[in-house]
Amino acid sequence: MQSEHRLEPRWLKPLLLGITLLFLAIFLALPLGVVFSEALAKGWKVYWESISEPDAIAAIKLTLLVVLITVPLNTVFGVATAWLIAKFEFRGKGFLITLIDLPFAVSPVIAGLIFVLLFGSQGWFGAWLSEHDIRIVFATPGIILATLFITSPFVAREIIPLMQEQGKDEEESALTLGASGWQTFWKVTIPNIKWGLLYGVILSNARAMGEFGAVAVVSGHIRGLTTTMPLHVEILYGEYLFTAAFAVASLLTLLALVTLVLKSFIEWRIGKKRSLAH
Amino acid sequence: MSIQISNINKRFDNFTALDNINLTIPDGELVALLGPSGSGKTTLLRIIAGLEEADSGTIYFNGEDTTSTHVRDRGVGFVFQHYALFRHMSVFENVAFGLRVRPKETRPSEEEIKERVHKLLKLIQLDWIAGRYPSQLSGGQRQRVALARALAVEPKVLLLDEPFGALDAKVRQELRQWLRNLHDEIHITSVFVTHDQEEALEVSDKIVVMNQGKIEQIGTPEEVYDRPANPFVYGFLGNVNLFHARVEQGSLHLENTELNTPDLGNSKEASLFVRPHEIHISVDNAEGSGIEAKLIGWRLVGPRVRVELETLHEHQRVEAEISKTEWQAIKAHESGVLFVHFSNARIYTNEASWNDYVI
Repeated sequence: MQSEHRLEPRWLKPLLLGITLLFLAIFLALPLGVVFSEALAKGWKVYWESISEPDAIAAIKLTLLVVLITVPLNTVFGVATAWLIAKFEFRGKGFLITLIDLPFAVSPVIAGLIFVLLFGSQGWFGAWLSEHDIRIVFATPGIILATLFITSPFVAREIIPLMQEQGKDEEESALTLGASGWQTFWKVTIPNIKWGLLYGVILSNARAMGEFGAVAVVSGHIRGLTTTMPLHVEILYGEYLFTAAFAVASLLTLLALVTLVLKSFIEWRIGKKRSLAH
Repeated sequence: MSIQISNINKRFDNFTALDNINLTIPDGELVALLGPSGSGKTTLLRIIAGLEEADSGTIYFNGEDTTSTHVRDRGVGFVFQHYALFRHMSVFENVAFGLRVRPKETRPSEEEIKERVHKLLKLIQLDWIAGRYPSQLSGGQRQRVALARALAVEPKVLLLDEPFGALDAKVRQELRQWLRNLHDEIHITSVFVTHDQEEALEVSDKIVVMNQGKIEQIGTPEEVYDRPANPFVYGFLGNVNLFHARVEQGSLHLENTELNTPDLGNSKEASLFVRPHEIHISVDNAEGSGIEAKLIGWRLVGPRVRVELETLHEHQRVEAEISKTEWQAIKAHESGVLFVHFSNARIYTNEASWNDYVI
């Protein structure tokens, strides 16, 4: 709707647009360009070698393993928590919602330290763990735990408001129509939240792959063993292997771009659903 | 199927939603639970359905204790105020849902499902929109689909929670009549919750008036309207003028006048309830014992005239509904003193006794 009366001066809109574009160019487009141009500076052959050498492959594998474990776990946790919060009344609900947000508020380095303090050799459970020959810190389990902690809010945050808005009338109808709890969940609850759920999973996935701070603390930087892709990039960079560092970084960047595309597609789908519903 | 509700209690924290409710709903009747918000009517309906659990008490379906039967095994059809249609399913799939979720042994074949759903969609006169989604329907259509969906599982009892509450006035009126006709056709024991007295009076066989978690009166629409059990029911079922008076040896002292009544005792406070259509207005007090009042305003309401007056002594507002002819006679005296008469009134004294008073 264009109104005849302008409330703001004519030059304001182009100015704001200019500032935004300039900002995006300097802080987003330029680095993106740098990543790919640096990665390919010495040609495709070097690029391919950089991402196919054993340590890089190990880092990619470890990252995928972490994602494969954390994302499904956080999906289940997110749906269960959202269901609890949206469909049941109980004391301390507000506190629980705050608690879910905790990983957002805590610095990732602190999150990593928590696990070192708990499971490290000097930690609370350190003696017991070493007695039973279980390694958590400076090993894959620690990386998985830290990533779980960091990414736990994403799915829950996405679907709690969605489920709260939808209420429980549809579930109650399904029950009165003779559906079991399980049927109600799969045929009524899940279809109603699927786009929000997918959105949460994608965000959680992106973060699980890209997490640096918390993982850096618990990883121990054992090359080929406990380095995820972001850590591998840092190591290479520290060794002045710029081309190799940027090559691995370009893989993470590609993932970010794919995430963005998926995210906008899902947002478009949700928007379409909304406009249909009203 | 008959429903018997026995000694049902329900509290939410410090709020008593239902206070020892006893009620029997005979087989095949259409019963309205009528009351203001917070009266416990929806809670009672949800307890009958099994969606809510009572703190104590028993529910019998056909004499059989169903208190601990799970909602999905109770065989009730429940219609929600906001339809609660499955938004990701077409109208057809919504209605078919209850049949599709049955265990294999009792699930009808695909053809049977198709046939039954289309039969129901014909019943609600919406078989032409089977493929549409809830978001593409109007409110009235959605509610009819919700009803068809509830009927698809052939429930023994139909429960409706403010079924027309979210609809606009005209559609509400249509659907009311439609529900009544439908009930006359299929005779399923039905309970519906409403806060709209007109709706309850028009649609139901029996009205249960509720207030603050208690049942105030149970009766046919006629009984409840004409012989309300107490001041609450009287006030809830239509507009009412309330006068405070004193009774003294068979007469009632009210404003400037005295009315002859049956002997109600001495020196007692009494409340006098008069409906707007039970009030007459005269310009000359020819009948005697009229209350002096002056005209405040008037409004044409269809064929009747709604007149607002204020008594001269106690400065009390009086609402009257009179015919146009009567109004024409008064209109000329608009600025003078008018006299208010009652053709009928109910007197309520503190001893909770009701007395009819007819001139």
